[in-house]
Amino acid sequence: MRRWLGLAGLVALALVSAVVLGPAHVALGDLTSSEIVRSLRVPRALLALLVGGSLGVAGASLQALVRNPLADPFLLGLSGGAGLGAVLAIALHVAGPWALPLAAFVGALGAMALVYRLGLVGGAQLDPRVLLLAGVAVGAFTGAITTAIVSLAEAADLRNAFLWLWGGLSGASWDTVLVMVVYIPVPLVVLYAAARPLDLLALGEEPATHLGADVEPLKRRVYLAASMLTAAAVAVSGVIGFVGLIVPHITRLVWGHHHRTLLPAAFLGGGALLLFADTVARVSVAPRELPVGIVTALVGVPLFAVLLRRWMGGGPRG
Amino acid sequence: MRRLLVALLLAVACRPTADRPAAPPPPIAHRIVSLAPSSTELLFAIGAGEQVVGRTTWCRYPAAALLVPAVGDGLNPNVEAIAARQPDLVVLYRSQMNETAAQQLARLGIPTVTLAQDRLEDIAQAARELGRLTGHQQAGDSIGAAIDTLLQSPSPPPTAPIARVTFVVWDNPPMVIGGGSYLDQLATLAGASNVFHDIAGASATVSIETIVARNPDVILVLSDRTAPPAYSARREWRAIRAVREGRFIMLPGGLFGRASPSAPAAVAALRHALETRK
Repeated sequence: MRRWLGLAGLVALALVSAVVLGPAHVALGDLTSSEIVRSLRVPRALLALLVGGSLGVAGASLQALVRNPLADPFLLGLSGGAGLGAVLAIALHVAGPWALPLAAFVGALGAMALVYRLGLVGGAQLDPRVLLLAGVAVGAFTGAITTAIVSLAEAADLRNAFLWLWGGLSGASWDTVLVMVVYIPVPLVVLYAAARPLDLLALGEEPATHLGADVEPLKRRVYLAASMLTAAAVAVSGVIGFVGLIVPHITRLVWGHHHRTLLPAAFLGGGALLLFADTVARVSVAPRELPVGIVTALVGVPLFAVLLRRWMGGGPRG
Repeated sequence: MRRLLVALLLAVACRPTADRPAAPPPPIAHRIVSLAPSSTELLFAIGAGEQVVGRTTWCRYPAAALLVPAVGDGLNPNVEAIAARQPDLVVLYRSQMNETAAQQLARLGIPTVTLAQDRLEDIAQAARELGRLTGHQQAGDSIGAAIDTLLQSPSPPPTAPIARVTFVVWDNPPMVIGGGSYLDQLATLAGASNVFHDIAGASATVSIETIVARNPDVILVLSDRTAPPAYSARREWRAIRAVREGRFIMLPGGLFGRASPSAPAAVAALRHALETRK
């Protein structure tokens, strides 16, 4: 219980600092009336919470699915697909304020479908090892096509597509928050409903089957739901590394291996980490801004090291 | 066997070494590969366009430059493609990424000159240097002098309050032009002030929030189109007053796309656009 209170406190602190702190000076008394706070800081903070949370949950689920601690939501080819989508949208002159996010989302879903299909090679069973390989291969392939288009085409805009892909949360607005609020509950509920079978899957596929888990549909559901979360995250905020990799490990150290507690903790932990990281990115070198993916690593790794020492040193707790 | 080896060694040792004499570079270059948009434009401006036999994919001004074969990128250039043009001078953009290429070209015996081309004073300097190297010294000096005059010209007293401007060059992440860029110089010379002049670099990523706080009067956009940029319809950008009020000035790439000998014309065009805006 104390751990949950601590985590909730952390999220609250992260939210408050994201709203109060910023490169522009806003007096505390003007917080509620300030245009900057209302239309920029608050939606950006909420988006950071939702994206960070989605990446945390997607990472925790995928690590359980492929039974590999190195699994990361972007390892399965989605960032490559998203980048290809964005570059194609620019190359084909698809105009409009939402062209890039939509194209990236479609690209990520395309990569997801391709990886999924490759994961089924050799039978009707989704082999986690093949899934990982297919993800890396599809990521490399789409990345190569993207780079080829960018280096052969003559539009400077195309090079900026990479900037967009690693863009972070500057595209946050109430529109993007609304999209995420409507979109992410479905995959989140699917993954949470799979929490107990995921615990069994950690024992291996055969034991899980013997213990009553319906392994094949489970694997497909988890893969598709986690990828849907990641695709939405990349569409609204680009590729933000590290949250989906490190947050599940941190929460596993603190909460143990039961996904019914692990998944909610990964959501809140991922949200808090991305909130803190984005605040640092916006404030630390103002008026300039750091790429948030760099900050997530700078904040996340020391935190991980401290927890690793504390929990591993004192023996694992459940 | 041993005798054969000795013979081979002798043959190698006695190979005439003078097949590529290390002659000093010719005083006037006749086959020039120019590896930056600014230097290509400069070469044509000083009347050396006929001597240019290679350019980068990005060199599109003046229109006559498009008739010159492209050899690819100007950063980390393709040395083989350059050598194939058989140049007697290669003009490189000053950047760490081009040091290897300069060494490789030197090893091939191709003379190179490396020129900074980021700010207007660089262009004045480059005009004089290229004038000397191509036999168009007078034209080069005169362009250099014109830019010097422009830079030293006391700005006329502003008739209207000084326009506070921002160059937004990319929207996600938002990137603006800082004090290190020639665009900042053009704005100052046109009687405006860049609200991100305090950023030392040529460009930087900033938060939309920072643009809102600095509240520019006008947003300057490098684009050949006339419609406002797509991001102006996005809600987070509409927090900026100038975006809400549609205060965009579109700057055509021909005049504003690089530090160029047409800087005086660019300054005049920007001043005119600022004075006649609604």
